[in-house]
Amino acid sequence: MRRRIGTTALACATLLVFAGCNGTSVTNDNAGGGSDGKDGKGEVTGKLQLTFWGGAARAQKTNAVADMFVKEHSGVTIDRQNADFGNYFNKLNIQASSHTLPCVMQLQGRQLNDYTKRKVLLPLDPMIESGAIKVDDIPKEIVDTGRGPDGKLYFLPYGAAYDAVGVNQTMAEQAGVGLPPDGYDWTQYTEWITKASAKLPKGTFAAGSRGGLPNFFIAYQLANGKQLFTDDGKLGFTKESLVEYWNMWEKLRTAGTTMGADAQADEPEGAEQGFIAQGKLLTDSIPGNALTPASATLASKPGEQKLTTLPMPSGPSGGGNAMFTSGFAIPTNCDNIPTAAAFIDFFTNNPEAGAAFKSDNGAATNQKVLQAQVDDPKLAPLKKHELELYQQIVAKKPPTILYPPGYQATFESAFTRAYEEVAFGKKSVQQAADSFFTEANAGLGG
Amino acid sequence: MTSVSIPTRRALLGRRRTTNPFVIGLIRHAFLIAVLVVMLYPVVWMVAASFRPSAEVMNSLGLFSRHYTLDNYKHGWSAGQLDFSRYFLNSIAITALSIAGNLFACSLTAYAFARLEFPLKRVLFGLLLATMLLPYHVTLVPQYILFNELAWMNTYLPLVVPKWLGVEAFFIFLMVQFIRTLPRELDDAARIDGCGHWRTFIRIIMPLSLPALGTTALFTFINSWNDFLGPLLYLNRPELWTVSLGLNSFLDVTGESAYGSLFAMSTLALAPIVGFFLGAQKLLIEGVATTGLK
Repeated sequence: MRRRIGTTALACATLLVFAGCNGTSVTNDNAGGGSDGKDGKGEVTGKLQLTFWGGAARAQKTNAVADMFVKEHSGVTIDRQNADFGNYFNKLNIQASSHTLPCVMQLQGRQLNDYTKRKVLLPLDPMIESGAIKVDDIPKEIVDTGRGPDGKLYFLPYGAAYDAVGVNQTMAEQAGVGLPPDGYDWTQYTEWITKASAKLPKGTFAAGSRGGLPNFFIAYQLANGKQLFTDDGKLGFTKESLVEYWNMWEKLRTAGTTMGADAQADEPEGAEQGFIAQGKLLTDSIPGNALTPASATLASKPGEQKLTTLPMPSGPSGGGNAMFTSGFAIPTNCDNIPTAAAFIDFFTNNPEAGAAFKSDNGAATNQKVLQAQVDDPKLAPLKKHELELYQQIVAKKPPTILYPPGYQATFESAFTRAYEEVAFGKKSVQQAADSFFTEANAGLGG
Repeated sequence: MTSVSIPTRRALLGRRRTTNPFVIGLIRHAFLIAVLVVMLYPVVWMVAASFRPSAEVMNSLGLFSRHYTLDNYKHGWSAGQLDFSRYFLNSIAITALSIAGNLFACSLTAYAFARLEFPLKRVLFGLLLATMLLPYHVTLVPQYILFNELAWMNTYLPLVVPKWLGVEAFFIFLMVQFIRTLPRELDDAARIDGCGHWRTFIRIIMPLSLPALGTTALFTFINSWNDFLGPLLYLNRPELWTVSLGLNSFLDVTGESAYGSLFAMSTLALAPIVGFFLGAQKLLIEGVATTGLK
């Protein structure tokens, strides 16, 4: 009996959906807007939904900025949602497939084209032309990381992260090898690792078994001037270059210079827990902004070890660093574009907003905002090092990578798995490269 | 040769078992305790880590430290925009409503399937069981659209209302199996005394189904308390957050995580489950043992 009532209720609810009886759209209030608002011009008012990834610490800073925006624009209310990186995308995908994406949503270049492919994002170029969003103080190379395959800008990068080579300075001094020289290349880096390896205390390793780390490989390809992806989103580098790269790591691993494959597979996630933070490694590739949390763990260990970060190894084509930017996008289902555009501009360019957010998700892309932070005498030395290294890298005009759709889902996991099969002795380097190429090309682009 | 040696061995074992039950018991318990230690160690480690200063949380696999502190609990409880007392209250509200909903809807549905005769009963029961085979990912997006169109975002309705509509096929099945074991003579006797279906259900079936109800309540409690995806999708405002969302906010792979606070609050979040389990253990075992789900 109850079940019948339940079924009826459900059926009614479904009917409601189809008939569109329920007029309230919970996504965003219809407010402001010019003709259709696509140039971002119009009245800044009404409800706005904002979604971003991060934990409590970042939520606090983001909320502070959102509160400042609300204070400046009476009539605006901002509904905020946040979750941890992985869960953020689980939720975002459900919102995307149900056309209820929040008006201001955070993205990175790595996932951007999963969304541009499905045409759920608005191009921001008209809003830049109309002056609703300003990019004058952001380096062109950084703005370009927000572009889709059609060359249009789909998200405005507000923070730029980079991957770096972390080095345990204390261990390097104790082993008597010092830091790799300025502008070091891959050969110098591996030689430096090998040299240090013999002199390290028991239980520590010169480096992790890192042949499976996608960003390290990207750095290698960039330094050698190779293209990563073709225009149609397939793999753009040769199989030989991958074999050469994996052979380099295998040589180090089999010689016992790097950590073993099974120990590496046990590495916990997160900057605070990584092996380099635990003092088990002399060097490893870490995100540039992991320096502060990793150093904190290391400092709590006996011996007061110190960590620093260097740019990625160089090569014939210069530096190997790429920028991984995060920024806000506006979805096509947004019905409060002027407010969304104003918020994105405020978050990225307003000096006070930048000061409140403190480059929490990569260095501020607006150079004035960044310089103000670097010049602040209260800035912690490690954070200052993070930001200055970013300035160094960006001064060299790093190349932009256009990540094809499926990059995060296919490329990253397939790459790591393929190298693990080599390291665990299941496949030869050549076999693993073959199967990686087949798998990646099947899942990428399209 | 072998045919001779096997009986000897058996006799040897047999004699040991009968002569020295103490040794056998000791070995058996030692083994069980060893397994228990392996299974419980991660939890114990988490509890121990929650009392270490946050910089030392990840430092060792051991349980002991030179410094103990309650800071993780203090900071963890007041983390984020709101504090954990709010998250706990929210979780308790959702869980209590879910348990009530499941007990109400599943028991009624189960009574209908176990005792009533109506057209297409077997087909409908088959359909109900078939919904258990459907992975929830399949219905996730349509459900999200439905609740969004009903303007149920940022309310507890998407998490609670379905429970009142008898959509948990497993619990219905569990109760149907249980009710079928109750003698029909009791129903007949009640009918002679003038009971209709409602009174038979309330006065006869429900009191006798207590073990099955207890099992349903316990599993609903665990599911609702631990549910993460549902609250993540439907609850955006921090004042509506549940404990599991609060715990997630300590984590950030792209920034700084607060593991000390995470472990401290996880320890507190586990307490109600352990408490509920201990309290309902008798009912749970009876429920599982008597419903044919052995």
